[in-house]
Amino acid sequence: MHSIVPEGASDIATSQLRRGVLEFCVLALLRDGERYGFELVRTLGQADGLVTSEGTLYPLLTRLRREGLVETNWRESRSGPPRRYYRLTPAGDAALGAFTAEWERFRASVDALLDLGEASR
Amino acid sequence: VTPSPLHPLAKAYLKRLKRTARRRRLRRARRKELIAEIEGHLREAIPPEASDADARGVIDRLGEPAEIVESAIPPGTETTGRRGFQVWAAIVLVLGGGFILPVLGWLLGIVLLWTSTAWTKREKLIGTLVIPGGLGTVPWLWLILWTSCLHGTAQHCLPGETNVPAVLYSLVGAVLVVAPILTAIFLGLRARRTVG
Repeated sequence: MHSIVPEGASDIATSQLRRGVLEFCVLALLRDGERYGFELVRTLGQADGLVTSEGTLYPLLTRLRREGLVETNWRESRSGPPRRYYRLTPAGDAALGAFTAEWERFRASVDALLDLGEASR
Repeated sequence: VTPSPLHPLAKAYLKRLKRTARRRRLRRARRKELIAEIEGHLREAIPPEASDADARGVIDRLGEPAEIVESAIPPGTETTGRRGFQVWAAIVLVLGGGFILPVLGWLLGIVLLWTSTAWTKREKLIGTLVIPGGLGTVPWLWLILWTSCLHGTAQHCLPGETNVPAVLYSLVGAVLVVAPILTAIFLGLRARRTVG
C-alpha cells in the first residue's frame, strides 16, 4: 500500500514533537532540585532521540528563564569557570504539572489509536 | 580561578559561532550570553589536553553554529538580511528623497519607515519630524525666499538687510542640513541593533 504521507513528513512531525516537549523535559529535570547548565544539557543530550544539537538547548534555557519558568544563579566552580545553576520557579512547577497531566492523556490516546491501527492490519 | 586555555578546535568553533551570531545580527546582550554559555560548555566538556577526535565529538554534539544562533532568534522575528533593503531605502529616501523627487521621494521614505519593523514608534517619529522633507527642505526654502524676493513680497532679501543677525541665518541653515544627517545616522544605528 502506498503511503499518502509525503516523504519527510514523519521527520517534520518528530522534530515538532521534540521541540514541543523539550522544555518540559528541562523542567522535569529540575523537579528534584537545581542543576547547572552543562549538566542539564548533557543529561538531555544523552536521552535517546530527544536532542539533535546540544547547543540549541542554551537558547531554550534562556527562554525558560525569560518566561519566568526557571530562575538562575551563578556559582564559582573549583574545576573551571563559574556555573549558572537553574531552579524551577512556582510558575515552572505549575506548567510542568499541567503538561504532565496533558501528556498522560495524549500518550494514552495516541497509544490506543496506534494499537488499534496495528490490530486492524 | 583562571580558566584553562581552550582546545584549538573549541576556539575555532567559538570563533565561527561569534561570526554567525554577528552576521545574523543577534542582539548584543543575547549574543554575549549565548557565546559565554557555549564557551562554558566547551571548557567543561573538552579538557585542553583532549584529543582532536574527542574535541570533535563534543563539537558535533553541540551542532552547527547557524542552527544554534537560529534557535536563539524568537520565532517570527524579522531578520536584518530580509529587511535590509527596506531599511536602507527608507533611510536614503527620508534623508535625500526630497532631492531626487520633491516631496514624493521623502513621502515614499516615510511610508517605508513606518511599515518597517526595524524601528520603534518613537524612532519613527524622530525620523519623520527631524526634519520633515529631509535634506530636500533646504533648497526649497531657498527657492521660496528667492522667488518672494523676485516678486517683491519680502521686504529684505539679504541677511544683512534684515533685523535678523546673519549668524542666525547660518545657524538655521546648518541645523536644516545637519539634523537630517544625524537622524539618518541614528536610524541606521538603531536598525543594526536587532533580533533575539
